Amino acid sequence: MAEPATVQLTGVDASSAFGRGTDAQLAGVLAGDPAFRPVDRFDTTPRRVDAAATLPDAGGLADELAEAVDAACRAAGLDARRRVGTALLLAVHGGAHVPALTTALAARTGLTGPTRAYTTACVSASSAVADAAALIRRGDVDRAVVAAGYLVEPDQYALFDAGRALATDGAVRPFSAGRTGLLLGDGVAAVVLESRAVARETVADLLGWGRAGDAFHPCQPEPGGRGLARAVTAALRRAGLPAEAIGYVNANATGTGHSDAAEAAALRTALGAAAARVPVSSTKALHGHALEASGLLELVVTVLALRHGKLPVNAGWLGPDPACPLDVVRDAPRPATTRYALSLNAAFGGADTALLVGAA
Amino acid sequence: MSVTGNLSVLAEAAWPEPGDGAPPPVPGYVHSSFPPLVAAVAERCLTRAYGRRPAPGGERTAIVLVSAAGDRASAAHVRATVAGGGRPGPLFFFQSVPNSVAGHVAARWGLGGPVVCLAPTGDPRAEGIAEAELLLHDGDADRALLVLIEQAPDDDGGAGRPAGAPGTGAVAVLLEGGDAP
Repeated sequence: MAEPATVQLTGVDASSAFGRGTDAQLAGVLAGDPAFRPVDRFDTTPRRVDAAATLPDAGGLADELAEAVDAACRAAGLDARRRVGTALLLAVHGGAHVPALTTALAARTGLTGPTRAYTTACVSASSAVADAAALIRRGDVDRAVVAAGYLVEPDQYALFDAGRALATDGAVRPFSAGRTGLLLGDGVAAVVLESRAVARETVADLLGWGRAGDAFHPCQPEPGGRGLARAVTAALRRAGLPAEAIGYVNANATGTGHSDAAEAAALRTALGAAAARVPVSSTKALHGHALEASGLLELVVTVLALRHGKLPVNAGWLGPDPACPLDVVRDAPRPATTRYALSLNAAFGGADTALLVGAA
Repeated sequence: MSVTGNLSVLAEAAWPEPGDGAPPPVPGYVHSSFPPLVAAVAERCLTRAYGRRPAPGGERTAIVLVSAAGDRASAAHVRATVAGGGRPGPLFFFQSVPNSVAGHVAARWGLGGPVVCLAPTGDPRAEGIAEAELLLHDGDADRALLVLIEQAPDDDGGAGRPAGAPGTGAVAVLLEGGDAP
């Protein structure tokens, strides 16, 4: 069995096309109805694809992030006094505005501890969570807030469209035959991580984490999933858990041909025979790919699902792909059989992360 | 060998150093000096450390790329193209995130540790070293290649001014050690 968790998630919040707050996320992913619609936030006339999952009344990113941080802190019971000295780790798309955005968010939300901003593409948020846990475990801080945000906007949309990465049939079909790509989605989330010594609330235990690289290509995953497998193995080792203990994997799978196959290979390598039995889905098929924020939105969704005892479906399924021999959750949510789950993320540059949580 | 905090500096390089012009182009990257600078300074640092590729024990070497503004030239080009109703070139799809050129370096040298890109809110070198220390202490890497890069605000990718002009430059530091338990 795992040792008592050193690091706990004590407050979480998220917004996506499913709405604002944790209730909306849980209801959305368990309903299993993908949130993709034609884009009305900006003109997509020059683009090949016209679909994304957007929150209709989304405000500016700075405001949305501040709301998420406040909500997560309230859920964790952090009043102004208990926010003093708390670290803020922020995951957003890079740009000259990021340092100022980070310091302004910390000031606005009363987090006076160290700040760090992650611009490491689609593992930004998950890397921040791993680092926050490491900072707490090392004793640097007792408490850290990880916040992450991506709101679908014209520049990244155009780039993903130009890169022919967007699904051409309006649906994201992770691990499925006939998958044609990803679709973008809004995601803003915040989580409070605390040492066991200071935590008053407990949403979940953050039991393990791992980070590794493919050393393979600037933008293609290593076909055998070696980097992601090492990240999963590291997360299991930190948690002190065997592969058989894992009861759910919220996969990175974006609905992209070679990427999903590499992830399936990684799971086989890291989990061994258990890879064929563990329920797997990618909630990106429901709320879309929130890029730098994806790791945090998906972690929150994973924790909520575990606590509720139901595992969300892998929407968009058309049929099995021999390159992805996994037990994919299809048709309807499945009962959770253990309290342990992995949330996986991968990014350009061959960056891979794994987070292992246990429902409280 | 010098010491930085708990870490030892195995090698260090800058671009430009005396006599340098523009860094060599990197196949698959266009328009901006950002990716060539990262690739060139990393290549110089790792060559000083190891002599030739691949890096011994590279599977447990992290890359920490620190840039407050990121790839200004690529971002500005994409913004202008999209605002004008155009389609950005497909190469910008992956070029637009710093991970991509970090992955280029990782693939070339066999660096299989974590890839982390940061936008510093304070001193870039101090924040980069702090991140490297944390990764090494936490156990996902034994060494870290730290790359610090900034483009001058008016660096337009080299068309209007030479890449490597004042204000645009990069430093790479290969770090080892730490206080892993």
